[in-house]
Amino acid sequence: MNSNSLISGTLANLVQADQFSLMNIPSMVIEFLALNSKPLLQVLLLPGLGFILGFAIFAVWFERKFLARAMLRVGPYYCGGRAGVLQVFADFLKLFMKEIIIPTAIDWPFFVAMPVFLSTIPSLALLLIPFASNWVLWDVGSLSLPMFFAIMGIAPLIPIFSGWASNNKYSFIGAWRVAYMYISGEIPLVICAAGVAIMAGSMDLVKIVEAQQNMWFAVPQFIGFILFFLGIFIESERTPFDIPVAEVELVFGWRTEYSGILFGFTMMAEYVLFQAWTLMFITLYLGGFNGPVLMGMPTASHIFWLLAKFFVLVVFIILLRCVFPRLRMDQMIKLGWKYMTPLALLNLFFVIVMKILGVV
Amino acid sequence: MREPMIEPDVMRISWGPQHPMSGQTRVLLDVDGEKVHRIIADLGFTHRGIEKILENRSFFSGIIPVDRMAMVDTANMSIGYVTAIEKAAGLEVPERAKWIRTLVCEMSRINSHLYAFGLQAESTGYFPAVFLWTTVDREVLLDLFEELTGARWSFNHFFPGGVHHDLPDGFADKVLKAVKYLRGRFKDYWDAMVENPLFENRCDGVAILKPKDALKLGATGPVLRGSGIDIDMRREEPYDAYGDLEWEVITEDACDVMARTKVRYHEIGQALNIMEQIAQSIPDGPVKGRVNAFMRVPEGEYISRVEAGRGELGFHLFTNGTGNPYRVKINSPTLRNMYVFERLAELNEVFVADIPVIINSIDPWYLDSDR
Repeated sequence: MNSNSLISGTLANLVQADQFSLMNIPSMVIEFLALNSKPLLQVLLLPGLGFILGFAIFAVWFERKFLARAMLRVGPYYCGGRAGVLQVFADFLKLFMKEIIIPTAIDWPFFVAMPVFLSTIPSLALLLIPFASNWVLWDVGSLSLPMFFAIMGIAPLIPIFSGWASNNKYSFIGAWRVAYMYISGEIPLVICAAGVAIMAGSMDLVKIVEAQQNMWFAVPQFIGFILFFLGIFIESERTPFDIPVAEVELVFGWRTEYSGILFGFTMMAEYVLFQAWTLMFITLYLGGFNGPVLMGMPTASHIFWLLAKFFVLVVFIILLRCVFPRLRMDQMIKLGWKYMTPLALLNLFFVIVMKILGVV
Repeated sequence: MREPMIEPDVMRISWGPQHPMSGQTRVLLDVDGEKVHRIIADLGFTHRGIEKILENRSFFSGIIPVDRMAMVDTANMSIGYVTAIEKAAGLEVPERAKWIRTLVCEMSRINSHLYAFGLQAESTGYFPAVFLWTTVDREVLLDLFEELTGARWSFNHFFPGGVHHDLPDGFADKVLKAVKYLRGRFKDYWDAMVENPLFENRCDGVAILKPKDALKLGATGPVLRGSGIDIDMRREEPYDAYGDLEWEVITEDACDVMARTKVRYHEIGQALNIMEQIAQSIPDGPVKGRVNAFMRVPEGEYISRVEAGRGELGFHLFTNGTGNPYRVKINSPTLRNMYVFERLAELNEVFVADIPVIINSIDPWYLDSDR
């Protein structure tokens, strides 16, 4: 994909001032769309805006409706039929309408800016995921795997800053819990990803996926597979690891002071993180977009397979939420440093041995 | 409350009363990072002056505020006051009324323990599934209460000298059915809580209260029995039909949060046994004697001790020969256990994340400690 085509097409049309008139606008729009249909689709629909927002809506609805069954309730029942599909929109509208309460004596520019970064930074990482070999919105070649981890490395700073900016004791404790949790949880994930890159012989996500055509990396790197699966929970702060927001201990952790749409952004960010890490997990271990070509359309079937794997995994992960209590902070650090990091190194060692012996 | 001085290098968190888990109390925590150095419980947010209210009410109408001391454990609250009045007035209770009281008390105990159970699960960070399971299962008991007494909560069913209503037709079968249903459900709780490795992680070895400390600090109820001390007022001073029934006092030796949870779990099993025995072999007869609602009680001091869901509940009744009590002193289980809670940070290493777990292992009901 050539990302320059989007700009050059527009500029080329606009610069030719002698042709420019109001009458030409429809034809220019059509030409622009024809030239740039693929990047537009990517930005607006698939890895871009539509997918991210659509997933957040789906995940919130699914969590409410199906986890309600685990709690012997019916979930949202009146807004949008018995399935309660419109409840998410109603709640989001409510969050928009609510007053944003900004406490006095806080660092308010920081406080207001952080939730916006909170969901945009993981979205940026999500654009690196290949949906098919020719369907990558942000194609940075062999930099894509390190780029993903670099962007995701920024993500935990935002809760730390916002917890600090909130000037609240609960937010403060929550922010430092974020710091401890991500340090102990993310290092093993990077080591696991290094194992995948070594086995595939490339750090390009497309090549990593193509290297899994015969066998998913989940089979030779089973330890890494399990660790990265845990990593999804850690990175997206889902239930056994929702230590920073633990609502029964710290009121809502680093999110305590946020209200209205700023709170909505923090909730949104949780789902974007979840989405980005799940897609990365599939790309690294479950064969990414690989799958049988359906109806002679390779791109469409690749996208279909990735989305199919994604939604099966998401449903599974969401349902896991209701069976676990939360870990304590010291237990989390113990898990990260005593078990996950050594196991990730062991996994890396196995990968290197396999690579030297030429098994894979 | 005047706040004690804060040590250097610690941060004081006001944990409650506006907190998802604190209930109607304030707990001051002196924390250093995740470690809690000191716990200070600040009670009294829900003080209603029930002891004073009782002085201005006749013995009969005093049962109503006493009922409201612990809404989930209504029957066990009023049985204490009713027993004290009966001792004072020398009233005889018909045998069938005693058995009905025991049945209602045990149902109330299950109700209370189920609530404690749900909160215990929630406090470890469980998604509220278990809490809502217990809430749904409590419905079974509440329906029985409604059929028997006409109210689901605070039913004011006992009075000195009997109970207000006899069992309705077919009630014993419904009790047996409820017992069967609850026994089936309890396997789920065991799996979700005691058998769940993450729940064990959170509860095993947390907030250990040695038997010696438990006695010294005056712990009571499941907290005391979770520390391995075999004291239960239902057996020490049998009231109502407890002397005629077969059941045992549950103790656990681990002394930690998990032990208290297990004590509650097994106590529910015992309560179900008692319910079953009563439903099968309740004696016939009247349920109330001839009692004057405006009775006068001879002058004196009377004490009753009963085992409520949260522990030993004591009523110290002073009478002066009129139709009202002169003074009623209520010794409530939550207050005694809150003293224990305050000292747990000194006896153990406690983290911020343990606070909700510990406080719910104590199972406080601030309305009864504040009275």
